[in-house]
Order: sequence, then C-alpha cells, then structure tokens
Amino acid sequence: MVALARKTLVYEWRRFLPAILAVGFAGLLQLLQLALVLGIFGATSVYITGSSADVWIGFPGTQSVGSGRSIDANVESRILLDPAVARVEPYEWIDGDWRGTGDTGGVSVFVSGIDPAAAGLMFSRVLPPDLRARLAEPDAVIVDRADLDKLGVALGRTATINGQRVRVVGVSSGLRGLGGINVIASLDTARRLDTDAADNGPTYLVAKLRDPTQADAVAVRLRGSTAFGPYTTWSSADFARRSVRYWLFDTGAGAGVLFLAGIVFLVGAVITSQTLVGAVQGSVREYATLNALGVGVGALRKVVLEQAFWVGALGLVGATVLGVVLLLAARAEDVPVTLGPLAALACIALVMGQAAVSGMAAMRSMRRIDPATLLR
Amino acid sequence: MNAMIQVNATPGAPVLQADSVCKAFVSGKLHTQVLNGLSLSIDPGELTLISGPSGCGKSTLLAILSGLQKVDSGRVHALGSELGQLDLRALEHFRLQHTGFVFQGFNLFPALTAQEQVELPLNHMGLSKREARERALRSLEEVGLTHRIKLRPSELSGGEKQRVAIARALAKEPELLFADEPTSALDAANGQTIIDILHTIARIHGTTVLCVSHDPRLVAHADRVLAMEDGRILSDSRRDAVALKENPP
Repeated sequence: MVALARKTLVYEWRRFLPAILAVGFAGLLQLLQLALVLGIFGATSVYITGSSADVWIGFPGTQSVGSGRSIDANVESRILLDPAVARVEPYEWIDGDWRGTGDTGGVSVFVSGIDPAAAGLMFSRVLPPDLRARLAEPDAVIVDRADLDKLGVALGRTATINGQRVRVVGVSSGLRGLGGINVIASLDTARRLDTDAADNGPTYLVAKLRDPTQADAVAVRLRGSTAFGPYTTWSSADFARRSVRYWLFDTGAGAGVLFLAGIVFLVGAVITSQTLVGAVQGSVREYATLNALGVGVGALRKVVLEQAFWVGALGLVGATVLGVVLLLAARAEDVPVTLGPLAALACIALVMGQAAVSGMAAMRSMRRIDPATLLR
Repeated sequence: MNAMIQVNATPGAPVLQADSVCKAFVSGKLHTQVLNGLSLSIDPGELTLISGPSGCGKSTLLAILSGLQKVDSGRVHALGSELGQLDLRALEHFRLQHTGFVFQGFNLFPALTAQEQVELPLNHMGLSKREARERALRSLEEVGLTHRIKLRPSELSGGEKQRVAIARALAKEPELLFADEPTSALDAANGQTIIDILHTIARIHGTTVLCVSHDPRLVAHADRVLAMEDGRILSDSRRDAVALKENPP
C-alpha cells in the first residue's frame, strides 16, 4: 500500500507544522497545568499523604484538614478500645502569626503539633527520624527550606509565633502548603503557642491500624458514639480526597482549571482542524481524481484521519520532551508539580482526542470532493 | 475480468449506450439545459473523439457516460450495467473495476513518485503488492517513463506528468478510458506523444477510449468523431470503411 498520508506529511511538512505545534503546545499546556494543579492542591493534603495514619478522627463536618475544630481528648480511649487499632496519637492544628527577625512583617502560618517519638505517625514520610527527634527540645520548630526566605529566618535562628518564642531546629522539604506556611512543632510546643481559650482538646486524633486495608471498615465502625462529644472518622484516603476536592471545587479554582483546559483544547483543535482542512483542500483535485478512478470516499477519509493521528503523535512527542524538561526544572526550583501515571495518561488521551476531533472536523471538508468538477 | 465483460463479448455490441439523455443545471434562477434527449452508442475498442465549442455539453456527456454524474432523465448503459440503477458505492466500485480517467490537469499527488502515483489506485483494487508494482512498472514503460519512475511531479515536465496520469489510468487495465482535453495543457510535441499513446491503447489493449477535445490533431487519430453543439450531436463521422456499416443514432 502506498502510504499517501505519511508521504504527504513528510513531503509537505511545512503545511502540517502549525498543526503539530498547536497540538504539541496545547498538550504541553494541559500537562503543565494538570501537574501544577495536582502539585498545588496536593499540598492541601500533605498532612495526610505525608503521614502514615490509616484513620483520622476529627470534628463532624470538617471539609478540609485546615478547617478542623478541637474534639474531646477522651475520644482517644474510645478509639484505643477497638482491637483493630495499633496506635493513636493527637494532632494539633494551630493558626499562627509568625514574626521573623528579617523585614517580613507578619506571616500567616499553620502550626502542626505532632508526637516527636520515632514511631510517631504524623509527617512520618516527610520528616527523617533524626530531624523529628530534634522537635523534643522545647520551642523547636521545623519549616520547609523553600519557606525560609518568606519567614525571614535561617536555620538555628529564633522567631515568634503568636508572641511566643520559637527556634528553627531543622529544615525539610515537601512540607509546603496552600494558603499558609506549614510549621512543625511538638505537641507540647504547639499547645503553648495556642492562644485560643476555646481549644481544650486535640484538633485531630490519628490512628494506625494493625491491617491498613481495613481503614474504611474501621472508620465506619468507630463512628456513632457520642459519649465524649461530637467526632467523626475518615479513612486517610477519604480525608485526603475530601481536602483536595474542597480546594478544587469549593474555592472555584477547580472550575477555573477545567475552564482553561476546555479553552486550550478548543484552540488546539481549531488550529489543527483548519490545518488539516487546508491540506485536504490543497489536494482536493488529486483526491477527486482518485475518486473518479473508483477509490471510495471512505478510503480517502482514512487518509485524513491517519494524518490527524500522526499530527497528534508528533505533537505528543514534542510535548513529552518539553514537558519532562520543564517538570524537572520546576522540581529543581521547588515549584509544586505532581504528575502520576493516571494524569499523564489523561494528557495523552486529551492530545489524541484533540487530533481525532480535528481529523473528523477536517473530514467534513471532503464532502466537496466531486470528480465531476474535474470535467469543467 | 468479470461477468460484465462477458456480456459484451458479442462483437459489435456497444459498450456504452445513452438513450434520450437529458441533463440541466440550475444556478440560482438560471436553468440551463445542457443535454436534451441525446442518444449515442459507442463500440468496443474504438477511439472516439467528441469535439465542439466550449459550453456545448461535451464534458457533461463524458461525466454522464463515465458514471461521474447522474442524468435527469433517460438511461445510460455501460458494460451492460445501467448506471442510473447503481448507488454511490456501486458506482465507485464500477469505476474502480472498469474505468480509467485522464484529465486536463494532471492531478498528481506532490508527495508521490511516478511509480507510487500509478500504484495507489491499484492498491485499492485489491491487487497484491507485487502485482500492483509489476503493473505500474509495465504501464510506465508503455508510456515511455521507465527512467523517471522515482521522480516526483515537481521533477517532471508537463508532458511527462500527463504520461504518468495516463499510466495511472492504464495500469487499472480498464475496458473504458475517458480523457478530457488531455492535450490542451501541453505543447505540440508533448500533445502529439499523448495522442499516439491514446491511439496505441485503443489498438493494442482493445480499450474503448472516449476523448473530449477540440485539438484538431486528434481528429486524424480517432476512429470516430462526434461533433457537438448546444447539447446535440451535429455530425458523426468515421475515418475508415467500417463506418459505412454503421447506422448513426
């Protein structure tokens, strides 16, 4: 079979280049946007994904980690009664006002009070044990190294949170949050920083199960008792999704992202389909001649679809190369970007979908192929 | 090749027949009657030339006889099939199996070499890769382009391009070859070459060649010349003695 689609694409590459670039850049935009959104909004659940707890216990109706209210400390004994639970520890969330030594003014921070023990669950995936142990010192805090400048502080220096003195004993990475800067302290230090008189219990309790796969079932089982005041439970996966969804949709950011993705898709598809239509029209007499010779319109349409496929594939290759380079650069600069296999697959599907839609739109222009017009 | 051909194995039976064919074009409020009750029959293996002033309906007649256009009324039989009875797909299949076309413009794909241009329609006829290649090479040899088979249209002269277009039609081994002003875009020498090739095709392959042209040089090579004006055939003349047996429609 003479590969008409590919030979034309190679021979008339200048004609197809705009479409390849359009598909490629649309793909790249989608990819970066998705990675950035997942990175940024993934940060809203870093407390959950960075920890090894299987079940979270908090105030009923809590919509995201950052909007918890204190629960009764005695709930802990209720949770420990369940035979599936291996360990329970409190987690304190305190909103703080940071004053550094530099000219930074006040900075809004989220203080996480955690158990600094080596077996502690909170931030076990982000904090190495030696760093964690340093939190046992009174007034010790750990911050993300990317936040040091914003906080106007250096390792080993002191600052104040809510008027209380703290000292930066370590820096970590992967702690960056959204809406404020995360500061990690021990439970004791955190309680000392809490100025809200209404807080008389932990914000959350987090539990480790003997069998983590039972998280959903245990979470359901632990609900329902009201003997110690209101509380509810979530499996950690459920609570992480809840937090990300809250930021994505209830803040309007998600709608904005979807809207932008739609626009990018549309623009890419329009440019691509127009290029393909141009290519069809440039060869309309040749196509008509083939049709006069008996080659069916269906077979001619396949040529256009195949060209659309190659345009998509070439655009995808370009987008992948550029995307990997840019994502690596972003990582190196501590820009929060995350791209899992599912998100990557979604991008590939989007690019090829865009090419397919463009190809089908261009196929419509083949209706003008009428071999009888060659005889005038 | 198939059953349709055997129907026409009877000597003298026309391969193409038009009965009281009418065709009009409507453009806005303007109604133009191009063919008005035209009847015609074409015998196998002849080179028939249709000539006439522009707008006389000769191209429309060619489009109708070749199944590219439908008639308003009347009937067209080609190789025993009534073309009006065939749907779009069946017409495409009919053209694929039985017809070749040569147009005034050469209509070659810029990206393909001469050999690929000729092979392309053969691929769609269901021929094996090898058979398609052999046929393509044979046809290109017949039009004298053996040494140019790897060249693209941009590297060929006008005459060579038209020869590739003829090879493309010829390689299908059609019973019917339709040519529309095949020499009008060419200079004298190239025009003559094309005429000789068309003549040879009718003689050697027994292909029925129907050619629309006002090139006077073609008249000398045609077995039969139909002169058209205003959608009617004004005269029907044959070059040799065989013409005497013919009863004009």
